[in-house]
Amino acid sequence: MNEQTTQEFDFKDEMIDEKITAQQEAIENEIAREQKLISDLIKLDSLLDEYSLEDTIYRSKIIELSANFSLVRKTRGDGNCFFRAFGFRYFEAIMGKPDEVKRLKDLANKICTDLNQLGYNSFTVDDFKDVFVEELERLADKSDVKLLEEIFNNPGSSDYIVVFLRLIVSAYLQKNADFFLAFIETYQSMKEFCSHEVEPMYKESDHIHIIALTNALNVSVGIIYLDRTDQTEATPHNFPEDSNPNIFILYRPGHYDIIYKN
Amino acid sequence: MALRLQKELANFMRDPIPGMSLDHNSVEGNINVWVINVAGASNTLYEGETFKLQFKFPQRYPFDSPSVMFIGNKIPEHPHIYSNGHICLSILTDEWSPALSVQSVCLSIVSMLSSCRTKARPSDDERYVLTCRDPSDPKKTKWFFHDDDV
Repeated sequence: MNEQTTQEFDFKDEMIDEKITAQQEAIENEIAREQKLISDLIKLDSLLDEYSLEDTIYRSKIIELSANFSLVRKTRGDGNCFFRAFGFRYFEAIMGKPDEVKRLKDLANKICTDLNQLGYNSFTVDDFKDVFVEELERLADKSDVKLLEEIFNNPGSSDYIVVFLRLIVSAYLQKNADFFLAFIETYQSMKEFCSHEVEPMYKESDHIHIIALTNALNVSVGIIYLDRTDQTEATPHNFPEDSNPNIFILYRPGHYDIIYKN
Repeated sequence: MALRLQKELANFMRDPIPGMSLDHNSVEGNINVWVINVAGASNTLYEGETFKLQFKFPQRYPFDSPSVMFIGNKIPEHPHIYSNGHICLSILTDEWSPALSVQSVCLSIVSMLSSCRTKARPSDDERYVLTCRDPSDPKKTKWFFHDDDV
């Protein structure tokens, strides 16, 4: 917990760093203006506009995909996109189903107990859980997409939900550290991995986050990989592998959006 | 953010950390800056000394970490605390999590002080104090951490 440091920069570097920081902030503001946290529904083939005509690999994969998928919601690229996409789509899948809402609520409470046992401060953890559950319960008895969109586009509630999903992943990984330690080469402990790669906001997600979240919540998710590899079709990958998901996330290198099956 | 800070404040008063007390004047009118009086614990190198620890909360708190430093004339002499009050502690930057709180930061600082065996400044203190980006905000520094048992 206690560390020592060395600083390696001179005044010139500092000026450059400051310019970079200012530029990063400007880019972030620009993104925030142009991209809602979760967009309205758009047609899958409108993604074609993002690729030039010569970009045949992406274009043909999108056309191929549109046989089974037709709609997409884009998410803001702020490093939280996987969690936000998953959260929105999962809430959407269970809204209006009181039994499933109750199951998730009970699970959320149980995860808080796990977190407390792992040494987490109950009042901060409960704060995130409470918002998560409150927003979820607003959707328990009704399928209200407008309300769902509102909840996930309001940073106040949306970011709290993202934090709680991150904590779910952290709790699951720490509880199952024996199994997952083999996958985290650069960190010495699961706690250290979670402190650096899971809990901080804006940290991007990888396979290990997806496996942990789907296992912890016992939910099946299909990730559709759309990339520049040579296959003609975008590759689907289900979590867990042998499951039959109805929640789908579109992955393009570095970013996750929501995609809907016909 | 305001609601979370109010909860933290209530929690801090209800369940105070031994040797730490809030300077009430500091939060009056502005809950975004707290000053905490720190009394060196008995049987440690800092017994009998008192310090002032300042927390500044950014707009995106608790998603972003608070900016935490010692202020005033007396800065604890410690291998991870610079003479300008900046503290080298990973949970204040790289390892910050929204699930942490003022209390968890305070506990880390108490344990950092209590486990100290030799009073000293960081080896690069002079250079850092001269060149750090913003003396009033340690978060503007790019920190490089390495484990150390101190």
